[in-house]
Amino acid sequence: MSVEVTPKGAGSDLIINVKAWGSFADMKAELERNLNAIDPYLAGSLVSIDVGNKSITERQLREMEDILLEHGFHMKELINEKDPRSDPDRQCFYQGFNEGENTVSNNTTLIYRSLRSGQKYRSEGNMVILGDINPGAEVIAGGNILVMGALKGIAHAGANGDENAVIAAFRLNPIQLRIANHITRPPDGECIIVNTPELAKIRAGKVVIEKLKI
Amino acid sequence: MKSKVLVITSGKGGVGKTTTTANLGTALAMLGKKVVMLDTDIGLRNLDVVMGLENRIVFDIVDVVNGNCKIKQALIKDKRFEGLCLLPAAQTKDKTAVTPHQMKNLTNELRKEFDFILVDCPAGIEQGFKNAISGADDAVVVATPEISSVRDADRIIGLLEAAGLSNSKLIINRMRSKMVKRGDMMDIDDILDILSINLLGVVPEDEAIVVSTNRGEPAVLETTSRAGEAYRRIARRITGEDLPIDSQEDSINLVDRFKRILKLAR
Repeated sequence: MSVEVTPKGAGSDLIINVKAWGSFADMKAELERNLNAIDPYLAGSLVSIDVGNKSITERQLREMEDILLEHGFHMKELINEKDPRSDPDRQCFYQGFNEGENTVSNNTTLIYRSLRSGQKYRSEGNMVILGDINPGAEVIAGGNILVMGALKGIAHAGANGDENAVIAAFRLNPIQLRIANHITRPPDGECIIVNTPELAKIRAGKVVIEKLKI
Repeated sequence: MKSKVLVITSGKGGVGKTTTTANLGTALAMLGKKVVMLDTDIGLRNLDVVMGLENRIVFDIVDVVNGNCKIKQALIKDKRFEGLCLLPAAQTKDKTAVTPHQMKNLTNELRKEFDFILVDCPAGIEQGFKNAISGADDAVVVATPEISSVRDADRIIGLLEAAGLSNSKLIINRMRSKMVKRGDMMDIDDILDILSINLLGVVPEDEAIVVSTNRGEPAVLETTSRAGEAYRRIARRITGEDLPIDSQEDSINLVDRFKRILKLAR
């Protein structure tokens, strides 16, 4: 068990290395002891915490932030070798949201109008459209897409590779649907008009469309 | 009365922008309004031909914006109506000969003299389109009941909205009620469902348009033309009259008229 405080260069950035700790309580005590030992003139600096490949929960992260604040330090970032989404707690929390490359973005964009041909919207998070998406219009979201109207254009959910993303629409009648790196289009010739809300998602490597159960 | 600049546009070519401009211009002049029609299709001018005024052109829109002549010198008075004028496009230049800023100045200048300034927009979404819409207060979007035309109209409405023209109105041109009844053509509701803008009128397919265009006499001048009747109704709506949109505008024949009269009598 060790907590290292390594000033990063000559600046005010600090890295606290807590790679080898047993229980979280031990680590907290160790962290506090070391923060006390830091020169008071460094107070107010930004601190990065390296936790190696240990799993950290949201709650533990917040506790650490609080400890840092008590000592007059600000949390800059958490250095973690382990994919945060592999932690069961976080996975539950972020299910269906795409976080891209280590950026946590669970924001939702609301578009309060219909999209016409040639109009294209892109968002890293989820997208809710209060209106139609006309043929020739395109929406691309890192997360899910919900169309409170008719989807007649192109929608791409989970654009950063999230296969859990879904596309839901009151009238799902798209030119093309894309989820992560799967692309589908309606079958040629047939023209099935369904007048109920539907949901598209990936199941067993294929885009499937089912009735939206609310 | 405050003058109004209307741009007549469609995105797709061949749907009847120029025919619509010529007919609406003439119909508004018939109602006693002072109207000027602006052809912005530089390089491919047509409006003068449709109006039968081709042989009177001396100066054109490019001459006006470049200051080679006065606006009054370039305006061509219609042979039939006192209050109707045409400002023709140049044929030997291209769309880049005019800038949106110059167009705006030109329309503002024309506002002083006329009640209605109808701008005939070229097909496409490039410079010509940008020029045409730059001075406009409102847009009239012309579409035919074909999927390609409706798609382009949708794109155009989006671009108009982006340019601040959010009160566009729709004219559905070349409607064939028989085909609609058979289910072979998009009907008005299908089109309005996609475009979701206000309908200004429906113009039926009419062979008389071809004849009148070739003769240089707008169809509104002929009392028997069904398309001409539709354009006259649209013109009255533009002036603010509250005429109901009659989707059956294309089938006003004798039998129907009798039926209507009977209905009214009951």
